[in-house]
Amino acid sequence: MDILDINIILYSAAFGLMLIGIGGIVISNHLIRIIFGIALLEAGANLLLLLSTYHEGASAPIIVDGSVPAMMADPVPQALVLTAIVIGVGILALALSLAIRVQRAYGTLDMREVRLKLEQEISENAGIEMPSSSHAPAVTTANSAAAQQESGS
Amino acid sequence: MNLLVLMIALPLLTAFLLSSINRISTLAARWIGPLVLLATAVIGLSVWPQLGAAPLALQWGGFQAPLGITLYADQFALLFALAMTIGTLLLWPRSAENQLRSSSLALLLAGTGSGLALSGDLFNIYVFYELMTVVSYGLIAGRGTSGSFASTLRYLVISGFGAALALAGIALVYQATGTLNLAQLAQLAPEKLNNLQGFAAFVLMLIGFGVKAELFPVNMWVPEVYATASSRVSALLAGVVSKLALLIIMRLLILVFHQPEALTVLLVLGILGVASGELAAWRARDLNRMLAFSSIGQLGVMFIALSIPGNAGIFAALAVMVHHLFLKPSMFLLAERWGGSIEKLAGAARTSPIAAALFVLLALSLIGVPPLPGFWAKLLVIMPMLALDQPLYYLAVFVMLAAASLEANYLFRVVMKLYDKQPAATSHKVHATADLATALFLGGGLIAAVFMLVPLADRLDSIAAQATDVSTYIQTVAPQQLQSGRVQ
Amino acid sequence: MTALDTLLLISAITVGVALLAGNWRVGGWLVTILYALQGAALLMMSGLGYSTLTVVQSSFSIEVLSEQLLWRFDALSWFFALITIGAGLFSSWFASGEWGERYRDNGGSLRLFHGALALNVFTMLVLLASGDLLTLFIGWELVSWASFLIMALAGGKAFGYAMRYISYAFAGAMALLGGLLLIYAEVGSFDFQSLKEAAPQMQASTLWLLVVLLTSGFGVKMAILPFHLWQAKAYAQTPGPGAAFLGAISSRMGLFAFIVVVVQLIGISRLVEMEIPFTFLDAQDLLAWIAVFTIIIPTYIALRQHDARRLLAWHGVGQTGYMLLGIVIANDLGSAGGLMHVFNYASYQAMLFMVVVAVIHRTGTSDLNKLGGLFTRMPLSYLAMLIGIIGLAGLPPMNGFVSKWLIYRSLIVDGSPLLFLGAVIGTLGTILSVYKLIHNIFLGQLRVEHVAVREAPLSMVIPMMALAVIVFVTGYFPGLVLDWTSAVQASIGIPVLAHHLGGVSMKGGLDMIWIVSVLLIGFGFGTLVFFLGGRSRRVHQLDNYAGGHFLTAETRYHYSDNFYPGLMHLIGPWYRNSFEWLERGVISAVDTLSTAMQGLYRNAHPSYLLLAAVVFALSWVIV
Repeated sequence: MDILDINIILYSAAFGLMLIGIGGIVISNHLIRIIFGIALLEAGANLLLLLSTYHEGASAPIIVDGSVPAMMADPVPQALVLTAIVIGVGILALALSLAIRVQRAYGTLDMREVRLKLEQEISENAGIEMPSSSHAPAVTTANSAAAQQESGS
Repeated sequence: MNLLVLMIALPLLTAFLLSSINRISTLAARWIGPLVLLATAVIGLSVWPQLGAAPLALQWGGFQAPLGITLYADQFALLFALAMTIGTLLLWPRSAENQLRSSSLALLLAGTGSGLALSGDLFNIYVFYELMTVVSYGLIAGRGTSGSFASTLRYLVISGFGAALALAGIALVYQATGTLNLAQLAQLAPEKLNNLQGFAAFVLMLIGFGVKAELFPVNMWVPEVYATASSRVSALLAGVVSKLALLIIMRLLILVFHQPEALTVLLVLGILGVASGELAAWRARDLNRMLAFSSIGQLGVMFIALSIPGNAGIFAALAVMVHHLFLKPSMFLLAERWGGSIEKLAGAARTSPIAAALFVLLALSLIGVPPLPGFWAKLLVIMPMLALDQPLYYLAVFVMLAAASLEANYLFRVVMKLYDKQPAATSHKVHATADLATALFLGGGLIAAVFMLVPLADRLDSIAAQATDVSTYIQTVAPQQLQSGRVQ
Repeated sequence: MTALDTLLLISAITVGVALLAGNWRVGGWLVTILYALQGAALLMMSGLGYSTLTVVQSSFSIEVLSEQLLWRFDALSWFFALITIGAGLFSSWFASGEWGERYRDNGGSLRLFHGALALNVFTMLVLLASGDLLTLFIGWELVSWASFLIMALAGGKAFGYAMRYISYAFAGAMALLGGLLLIYAEVGSFDFQSLKEAAPQMQASTLWLLVVLLTSGFGVKMAILPFHLWQAKAYAQTPGPGAAFLGAISSRMGLFAFIVVVVQLIGISRLVEMEIPFTFLDAQDLLAWIAVFTIIIPTYIALRQHDARRLLAWHGVGQTGYMLLGIVIANDLGSAGGLMHVFNYASYQAMLFMVVVAVIHRTGTSDLNKLGGLFTRMPLSYLAMLIGIIGLAGLPPMNGFVSKWLIYRSLIVDGSPLLFLGAVIGTLGTILSVYKLIHNIFLGQLRVEHVAVREAPLSMVIPMMALAVIVFVTGYFPGLVLDWTSAVQASIGIPVLAHHLGGVSMKGGLDMIWIVSVLLIGFGFGTLVFFLGGRSRRVHQLDNYAGGHFLTAETRYHYSDNFYPGLMHLIGPWYRNSFEWLERGVISAVDTLSTAMQGLYRNAHPSYLLLAAVVFALSWVIV
C-alpha cells in the first residue's frame, strides 16, 4: 500500500503540474503567465518521464567497487530529462525574449490585444480590411455578385 | 553508410562555424552554406540506390541498439532527408540584412530535418523535432517585423504546449516498454502498447508532432505565421517541414501504434482539417492566408490518407506528400510578390505571364485535374477508402470531393483576377528571377511527373512497401533478438 | 496506326496549328482545312455509323494504377464525333473571315480563340473515344476545362459566368468522380464490360447513390434542372462562333456520358426496377420528369430574354430536355428521336447563333429591343434564321420536326400522356419565343441607324447556308440520320428503329419525303397564284398606315418591348428566379461556414487548447 501511495502522489504531482500548466495557457491572457504555463507543463512532462521507471528504494545506477546493487534506477530517463530540461530552458528564454520584442512593438502583453494588433498588421500589409469589421461581408464572390446583378434579366 | 551521418553533421557543423568563417571571408560565408547543402544532397543521392535493396542502420557512438542512438535509413527516410536538404537549398533565404543569421538557421534546419527523418529512436526524434522547431522560430522571426515577432510567439505557445504533450506521450511509452528505440518498440508494441495507455501515448504524441504537421486542433498558428513570415520560409514550413512531422507520425503508426482507434482519430482530425481549412480559405482575401488555409486542408488529406489501414494508406499518403512537396513551395514563391490583397492582383498576368501560367498549372494540379499528378494522388487516397465500405470513410470521401470543389472555386477566383483587365494606374511587381526559376523548376517537376507516371508510382509503391516492412526494420537495427532494456 | 489514331493526331495538330498560326491572315482557313481533314479521318471510320464496324481501337494505351487505359470509337462516339467536328468546321469557317479580323481589331487574340476552339474539339474527341470509366473521367475534365477556356476568352463579364460554370462543372465532376470510384469499389475495375456484368447484381441502395451521383455529374454539363443556371449566360458571352460551337455540341457531352454509363452499362431496365418509396414512380420516371421540367422552365425563361444570344442559349438548355427525355424513355422511337435531336439541334442551333453573330457583326447589338426590319438588308441571314427557327420549333419540313415527332410518338407508345403534355407545353413556348426572335430582328420596321446595313459577308453566309441545307435535307430525308442513330441503338443495346430514307416504317409511321413533297407542291402552287394571279404593288418598307395615320420612320410601331405581356403576367410568378434561391442558398451557406471557420482560426485558439487538454485529461483517466 505504501508503495502505491507514493506512486499515486508522484503521478498526481506530474499530471497536476501539467494540468496547471495547461490551465495557465488556456485561461490566462497575459503572455508572461502563458509562458510560465508552458514552463509548468514542461516540468510536469519531465517529471512524468522521470517517474516512468521510478522504483521505491532503488539506488542510483552507479556501480561502486564492482558490487551491483539489488535494485537500480533506470538511468536512461534521467539522461533524457536532462536533455529535455535544457531544451525547455532554451525555449523559455526564447519565448521571454520574443515577449519583450512584442511588448516593445505593440505596447501590450495581453494576448487578446496582441492578436488584434497582429490581425490589424497583417490586414494592413495585405491591403485588405480587417475581416472582423462589421462591414466585412459585402461581396463574397464573383458568382453571387453576378447572380444578384443578373437575376432580373 | 557512415556518409549518411554527414547529412546531419555537416550542415550543423557549418551552421555553427559560419560566423567564424564570416570573420575570415564574407564571400566564403555567403557561399559555403549552399555548397555544403549541395554536397549533402550529393551524399544522400549517392546512398539512395543502395538503400533500394536493403535499408541501413547505424549505431551512433558504437553502442548497440537498445542503448545506443540509432539512425535508420531506408528510402522513405532518405527521401524526406533529401527533400529537406534540397528544399532548403532551393529556398535558401535571401534577405539583405541578416544573411549570416538566416544562413546559419537554414543550415540548422536542414541538419535537424535530416536528423529527424533518419532517427530511429523516439527521444532522438523528440530532440531533433524541438531543435527544428526552435530553428523555425528563428526563421519566422528573422523578418524582424513586429508582426513576425507576435506570430512567432503565438506559434511558440502552441508549439511548446505540443512539445510538452509529446514528451508526456514519450514518458508513457517508456513506462510501458522501457525503451525508446523504435525497433525494440516495434517488437514490444503488440503486447505492451496495444492498450489504452498506448492509445493515450499516441494521441499525446499526435498532438505534439501534429503542431508542425498542421493537424486540426493545433494548427491555429498557420495563417498568422504564413502571413507574416517571408515567403521562402513559409514555403519551407508548409512544403517540407510539415512533411517531416508527418513522417514521424507515419513511422509511429507503422512501427508502434496499431490500434484501430488511432486510425479513427487520424481520420476524424483529418476530415476536420480538410473541412475547416478549405472553408476558411474560401473566404480569404489575401493570397498568403489563402495558401495557408489551403495547406491546412491538404495536410488534412494526408492525415485522411494515413488513416487508411495497411500499405495502401502509406502509399497514398506518400503520393500526396510528394505531390505537395513540389506544389506548395512553388505556390508560396509565387506569392512572394503577389502577396496581399487578391483584388489588387487584377491584371498581373500581363506583367508576368509565365508566373501566371505557372499558377494556373499549380492550381489545376492542386485541385486534381487529370492528367496532372494531383489527380492521381487524390485517386490513390479515395480508391482504398471506398473499398473499406465504412460510413466514416464515405464521409471523408465526400468531404474531400466537396473540398476540391471549393478549392477549384477559390483558386480560380485568383486566376480570374490575374487575367482580369488591369485597372489604370496600378503596377504589379515582377517576380525575382531566382524565385520564378525555382517555382518553375518545381512546376516543371509536376509536368515531368505526368510523363513518368507509371515508373514514379512503382517507385513510390516500393518505398511505401519498404517503409511498412516492420520485420526488416527490426532485423536491420538489431540482428540479434533484443532483450527488454529495462534495468530492474 | 488506326483510323482513330489518325483522327486524334490530326486533331492535336489542329490545336498546335491554331495556337501557332491563329493570328495569321490565313491561319483561320488553315485550321478550317484541318477540321475538314479531321472530318475525312472520321469518314474513314464511317463503317461505325452503318453498323458494318463495331469498334475502332486506338493503338495508344497506358497502364496506370494497374489499370489499362484504353481509347476506342464505337457507333455512339462516331455519331457524336461527327457532330463535334462538323460544328468545329463551320464555326471555324465562320470565324476565319471578316469576323476574325474584327475580333482581332477589337483586341481579341485570334490565336487563343482558334486554339481554344481546336482544343475543345480535341478534348471532346478524347472524351468520345474513352474506353473505360477512368479515361471517361479524364476526358470529362479535359472537356470541362477546355470549354472554361473558351468561355473566359471574352474577359470582363464573361469571367464571372465562366467562373460560375467552372464552379458548377467542377462540383459536378467531383460527384462524377465519386460515382465512378464507387463503381470501382463495387466492381473492382474501371472496365466498361465488368460494370455491365456487375450492374444487374448491384444493391438498390448502391444503385440509387450511383444514379444520383452520376446523373448530377453528367447533368451539370447538360444543364438539366436544377443545375441549369450557369449555361445560358456563359454561352451567350462566348465570342461569336465559339458560342455557336458550344451551343451546338458542348453540353451534349453530358448526354454522351450519360448514355454510355447509365443507359448502356447500368441499363434503363435497372432504373425501372428502382422504385421511389411511397410513390408510384421509379428512377426512370424521375429522370423523365426532370427532363420535362428541363424542357419547360428554361424555354419559358428564354421567352423572357431580350438578348438574342441569351434567348438562343436558354433554348439550348430546354432542348437538352427533349434529348434526355427521348433517351430515358429508351424504346426504339424515343432513343432514336433523342439521338437524332442531338444532330438536328446542333445543326440549327449553330446556324441560329451564326445568324445572330452576323447581325451583331453588322449592327453591333443583339438586343432584341434595338433591332427590327433587317429582312430587307440581310435577306440571306433572314432565310437562314427562318429555316433555323422552323427547325427549332419542330415544324415540318425541317429536321427538328422528325426528331420531336419521334419523341412525342415514343411518349404515346410508352403510355405517358402527362410527359407528352409537358413536352408539348415546351414546344409551345419554343414557338412563341422563336417568333419573338425573328420578329424583333428581321420583321417590322427598319431602324434609322440600320439603313446602311448590308448583308453579312460571304465567309459568314456560306456556313449558314451550308447548315441550312443540312437542316432541310435531313428533314427531307431523315433516313440519312436515322441510319446512324440505328447503328448507335444497336451498339448500346436498345431496340433498333425500323426506318427508311423518308422516315419510320411502322403503322402510322412517318414519311417525310411524302410530307415535304406535298408541302413543297402546296408552296409552289401558292407562289404561282401569288405571282400570276392578283395584282400587287411594291411599297417601301416604311410606307405604312396604322389606324388611318400615316407612319414615318420616326413613329415606332415595331413593338418589341414587353413581348407577350398577358402570358408573362400569367406565368411569371411560376418561374421567376426559379432555382436561383437554391444557388444563393448554397453560396451563403458556404459563406457562413467559411466565416465561422475563419473566426475559429482567428479567435478560438485558447478554447482549442482546452479541447486538447480534455483529450489529455481523458488519457490520464484512462491510464
